[in-house]
Amino acid sequence: MSRLSRCIGALKRTLLAPSRGPRTLSIAVSGEAPAAVSRVAPGAVSRVASRLVSGLVLSAMLVSAKVAAHDVAGSLDAIGSDTMAELMLRWGEQFEEQRPGVRLQLQVAGSASAPPALIAGTTLLGPMSRPMQEDESAAFIERHGYAPTPVVVGKDALVVVVNRHNPLSRLSRAELDAIFSDTLACGASESIERWQQLGLERPGGTIHLYGRNAVSGTHGLFRRRALCDGEFKVSVMVSAGSAAVVAAVGDDPAGIGYAGLNHLNADVKAVAIGNAEGGILPRRQSLRSGGYPLSRDLLIYVNRPPEGELPDVERAFLDMVLSPSGQRVVKELGFVALPPSVLAAQRHALGLAELPRDGP
Amino acid sequence: MLLAVVAIAVFLLVEVLPLFWPDGASFPLEALWSSPDVSGEPEYRWLPHRLDDAAVPQASLAPLLWGTLEAAAWALVVAIPLALGAAAHSSLYMSPGLRARLKPTLELMEAMPSVVLGFIAGLALGPWVERHLAQSLSIVVVLPAAVVLLALGYRWLPDRLKAALTLRWAALWLIPCLLLLVWLAMSVAPMWEGWWFDGDLRLWVEESWGLDVQARNALIVGLAMGFAVIPGIYALAEDALSDVPRELAEGAQAMGATRWQTLTRVMLPVALPGVFSAIMIGAGRAVGETMIVLMASGNSALMTASPLDGLRSLASSIAIELPEAAPGGSHYRLLLLAALALFAFTFLVNTLAEVVRARLKRRFTRRKGDA
Repeated sequence: MSRLSRCIGALKRTLLAPSRGPRTLSIAVSGEAPAAVSRVAPGAVSRVASRLVSGLVLSAMLVSAKVAAHDVAGSLDAIGSDTMAELMLRWGEQFEEQRPGVRLQLQVAGSASAPPALIAGTTLLGPMSRPMQEDESAAFIERHGYAPTPVVVGKDALVVVVNRHNPLSRLSRAELDAIFSDTLACGASESIERWQQLGLERPGGTIHLYGRNAVSGTHGLFRRRALCDGEFKVSVMVSAGSAAVVAAVGDDPAGIGYAGLNHLNADVKAVAIGNAEGGILPRRQSLRSGGYPLSRDLLIYVNRPPEGELPDVERAFLDMVLSPSGQRVVKELGFVALPPSVLAAQRHALGLAELPRDGP
Repeated sequence: MLLAVVAIAVFLLVEVLPLFWPDGASFPLEALWSSPDVSGEPEYRWLPHRLDDAAVPQASLAPLLWGTLEAAAWALVVAIPLALGAAAHSSLYMSPGLRARLKPTLELMEAMPSVVLGFIAGLALGPWVERHLAQSLSIVVVLPAAVVLLALGYRWLPDRLKAALTLRWAALWLIPCLLLLVWLAMSVAPMWEGWWFDGDLRLWVEESWGLDVQARNALIVGLAMGFAVIPGIYALAEDALSDVPRELAEGAQAMGATRWQTLTRVMLPVALPGVFSAIMIGAGRAVGETMIVLMASGNSALMTASPLDGLRSLASSIAIELPEAAPGGSHYRLLLLAALALFAFTFLVNTLAEVVRARLKRRFTRRKGDA
């Protein structure tokens, strides 16, 4: 007993030693939010990193990332999609190597911010992860007298993901709709609430739904394509970014969610989407051919008068984007590069020189 | 100060006004509460981004109000017993030296950024609890029960042990005891899960009660937010208890009252106004707290009583949606309406706390004058 009391006495002494200053605990919070917007290499991300990113994406969402601007003659402006932020940054770096002294000034605040900037003339390049809506292009025509030129620069897809331990491999369009919506606009007869309804023993119980917030382009695309313009169930857990959705599903054996293709990692598994005949996985082939139902084009809208030419810098930038080295960046970031035929067509439409046939 | 508050209120009112006057909103105002579904039953859904293109506009604030209050209620359930118990212990029993060390620690807890708390709750604690449901439940049941038993059993301890384990230092020697209890609770969990719940508590809960366990749920939010609210309630309640005139407590003990009797019969009634306002201010903070709810709740606008479901609060809806809502649109004005509701609510709670405190204080001073 006396040993115990001595022990406690020692504890008291160390805790209350008057010679020491007040103990402090410091909490370090990394402040590199904009840099981490979406630097997620597919499959190669450790779980910790993806959690970190999902947290940081949130802060990046609230503060629109703005890349430091140096006022160099011949600077290049672009305003638009946050999905394409990383892509644009990498192209900017590459472009700087080609043309030292030219800096890309990028503002990412979502696709919806591109049309107003193009209309007002603050920028000539507007990266968007969706096509312009009717009213947006009408406003552009009203101001400039001609239509904006869309340039397809890559392809992206939404993947439906489940936990890596989930045996599910394929869902039909109707099943997908019955899982995520309660409007059943794609023709299912009843809502699917439990894994058993899909004929699965494991992971038993209720299906946990994860998705994006209602204002994001990803949410809109999934609602239009996968839910046939229906409405999501109220029980969908809303995350602030695709990385957060993937992290949540990776942690939840009963979870299912949707995210951008470039956010896939080893904790989750992509589910093939299809009809009665067979499922289609979001692979390069099915995306290029347009067979995968949840794919979308990544675009850069350009303000180019019909009989004029783009300024030299913008033209050279698009030339690089639509070149094999520019398309390699698309691939590296987990998106899908354009097939040569589409690439050639895009270059032709912009009046760029043809690529050498046996290029790298 | 007052000017700033008035300016905020005026700004919110001016921005929200176009919803009601002069032209009214582009949707029926009933949609702010509920809208009829296909069969005509009222339905409570928050879909403000589709106000203009949906057949039936649905922008019910009801689930958001519900989520806000539910989260705050669970936070208070966690925080009140812990904070008040800690305040009572530290003002009455604890050695002054230890108290002087502990208070700064609690202040540090208060200074913890809520985004860090939310991050830990949403991404680490939530999924852990979901996977270790039996262990978590075991801790929740065993820990409070064991603490009460310990407290009851303390008086029968042999005197020599009591001399070593004084109540003044209970905060220190209880820590290893509690850790031991947590370890015990966790290690027996698989056994009772096997005996009573067929080895899978989660499935059992779902099959027999129809309750589904989500990783991000109201309880997790309550736990994290309770943690955030505890320091504030503790500090105010501790001050209130310490402010009780020494003569009162000493007088009671001189008359033969035990310390427990002194606390419950003498000090607590006198300090009640302060304790009450401490709780009210904690409630105000819980209602307005954004980041913890945003990150730990799943943000699904549900209206269910189940503490194992997710929720969505007014504050987190504003944080998520405002950056992307077009200024001047109906969605934007709806979010500002939510902000106005929050503002009005915290204003009311704080005013109420102040009024009650002033009245109770008057009553006590009058009683003192009579005596």
